[in-house]
Amino acid sequence: MAEQAQENSSLSAVVADVAAGVALALDGGRDSSALSGVLAQDDPLALAAIRVLGADVLAPYALRAGGGPGTTTDTGTDMDSGMAHRRTARASGVGAGPAARGARADGEVVRKALAAYPPGADASEVSLWSYRGLVEASRAYLPAGQGGPESPAGAGDRAAGPAAVAGWLQADPWPQLAHRASQLAALSLPGLAPALATGLAARTEDLSRGFVRAVRRRDWLQAAGIGRWLARVPDVPDTLGLDTGLVYVLRMSGGDARVALHTAIARRFHGRGAR
Amino acid sequence: MSGGAGPGRAGGGDPDGAAPLPSGVSDLPGAAQSDPPGSTGAPRPAVAGTPARPSAPGGSDRAGGHDGPAHPDAALLDRVALGALTRIDAMRPSFRLPDDVATDANPNTTLKPLGELAELADVVRTAHPLPAARALAGELFAFAWKETRGGELFAELVRGEPQATYPVELYGVFARAGLRNPAVEELLAATTGLRLWQVAREDHTRTLNVLNAERRIGLPPHADFAEVLAMTGLGRRPEPWALDRRTAYGLTHDVFHVTDWGRVPGLMPEPLAGYLRLWLPAWTASWLEERQWDLAGELLAVAACVPQAPYDPAAWREFAAAQRRDGAVPEVGDGPPEGAPPQEQFIGCYHSTLVAAFAATLARAAAGSGGAPGTAPSTPEATPAPAPPSAAVAEHTPAPAESEVLP
Repeated sequence: MAEQAQENSSLSAVVADVAAGVALALDGGRDSSALSGVLAQDDPLALAAIRVLGADVLAPYALRAGGGPGTTTDTGTDMDSGMAHRRTARASGVGAGPAARGARADGEVVRKALAAYPPGADASEVSLWSYRGLVEASRAYLPAGQGGPESPAGAGDRAAGPAAVAGWLQADPWPQLAHRASQLAALSLPGLAPALATGLAARTEDLSRGFVRAVRRRDWLQAAGIGRWLARVPDVPDTLGLDTGLVYVLRMSGGDARVALHTAIARRFHGRGAR
Repeated sequence: MSGGAGPGRAGGGDPDGAAPLPSGVSDLPGAAQSDPPGSTGAPRPAVAGTPARPSAPGGSDRAGGHDGPAHPDAALLDRVALGALTRIDAMRPSFRLPDDVATDANPNTTLKPLGELAELADVVRTAHPLPAARALAGELFAFAWKETRGGELFAELVRGEPQATYPVELYGVFARAGLRNPAVEELLAATTGLRLWQVAREDHTRTLNVLNAERRIGLPPHADFAEVLAMTGLGRRPEPWALDRRTAYGLTHDVFHVTDWGRVPGLMPEPLAGYLRLWLPAWTASWLEERQWDLAGELLAVAACVPQAPYDPAAWREFAAAQRRDGAVPEVGDGPPEGAPPQEQFIGCYHSTLVAAFAATLARAAAGSGGAPGTAPSTPEATPAPAPPSAAVAEHTPAPAESEVLP
């Protein structure tokens, strides 16, 4: 019991470190977006942390690939959009020099993380989604040949196609919907899960209510995760006050690195949270 | 109506208007009173012994007794309302005013509860579709008037504190129903005609209640309703996630004052109605989770005051589950333990139990008046920048009827 608690606590610390490093890279405070520079590659906790954060560990690559403010929202299928981003990444000049070496190392560490922590047969839907998101992100954002495994064990494909999306996206009452959306916040990066994004965009008011509930519960991580999805859509209710809300959540969380990463992504990709 | 007397409300946490008593009232020295109780002799007969049934003022007014479409949740709502009314009826001894009500008694446990009983019973007696509920509420309303000795109490209170608003607010509850006392009205003409009376008060929500009381009594309004509304928690439309408990109580009362306690939902300016429709589900769920039954009950009542706000069956189930077998709804959490002294039970339950009867009545009546049909989770769109409340009120005011038009 005690060992388990200690392990969790250590993992939380590593997750926070990685999240802080990614956020710093997003804000331009780090020369390289190299994930591998942030952590000790052989540390099993580091690999676990990558699985916890999922696609977000590659967010700086997505930003370079053109995912900043002004990016059109995704439409079409996962595959179409993923391909589009892959092309963008390949054409954006990250294929040579130090950046390319960093990308190669990052691809390797992501591959290790995916191999070390594949979703088990009884994995939760969130775990499956997160795995799939990381697979897709490594394919879409990393330069050619640096991506993750081509669907190891088929787990990514099993995770959730558009058909699997449909059920809870439409049926869940708003508190459950918003909670789950927050757990899947990393999938809100451009091009990763357009069907999910489209489904959530159809329930903007419900997500907004979830944001309200999360802030009132002082669940800053949940609030920030929901806020990221809301940052993507143009029709967030004015009276929600999303921009001030994201700043409020960031400040009230007292330096929570995962909250800071969520809010940094909302700001850097969608221009929301600090004007 | 949030009780300064309730658990967790210490420190005068009463942002409200139904609560007729400003928090400072009990600080005023009794020596200031020129007319202590006892000096007026035996109670005189009431000027009007029986509450008059208010006439329907407009198309959107709610009046009980006519069959509308059956509410999908009628059984649950009626159980809540009748249970609560029965419990309130059993609490009558605790609502009785002590002899020193106008001098030494704590107004938060005497005048305030009685005023709330009167305000909410009046809604139930006129709006509930079931004759049994209307009859019981009517008896409670008459009981409250009797406790004021046919309004004579208000004359004493005004003489004691001519600048205070609470006697006016309280008297207005009865005056609205046609229960009047000429001596009180003579006094009020003298006190509320002063420039002093027009000095702005700190609590805008409370000012709305004063304005409503002036309208009910027939006194000239001392301020512009729409201008005051614009400064309240509702009028400012705060970020919904930033709403704290106190602001939320203020907001519920802003709604009650705007709609005359749910009687005229159409008086709610549409931009504010849209704001409420959008965020009420989140607030209600949030405070239900915190087991703040009193505030959650007020929010359920608010939903029934807003045109086209959807009925929330899940929230009502959760709220109804908090009602005890004896009909009481605790203000927060489990409330006073079984076997607690009656006064403790009263303080810990009376307000939330009144709110339960009130909210269940409005929710039940809303189905028959086009107020809040449907149970779909979808809500109308967010509202754009609000029109000036005054214009919006004018635009949405139903057919003019003297008693309902806001100043």
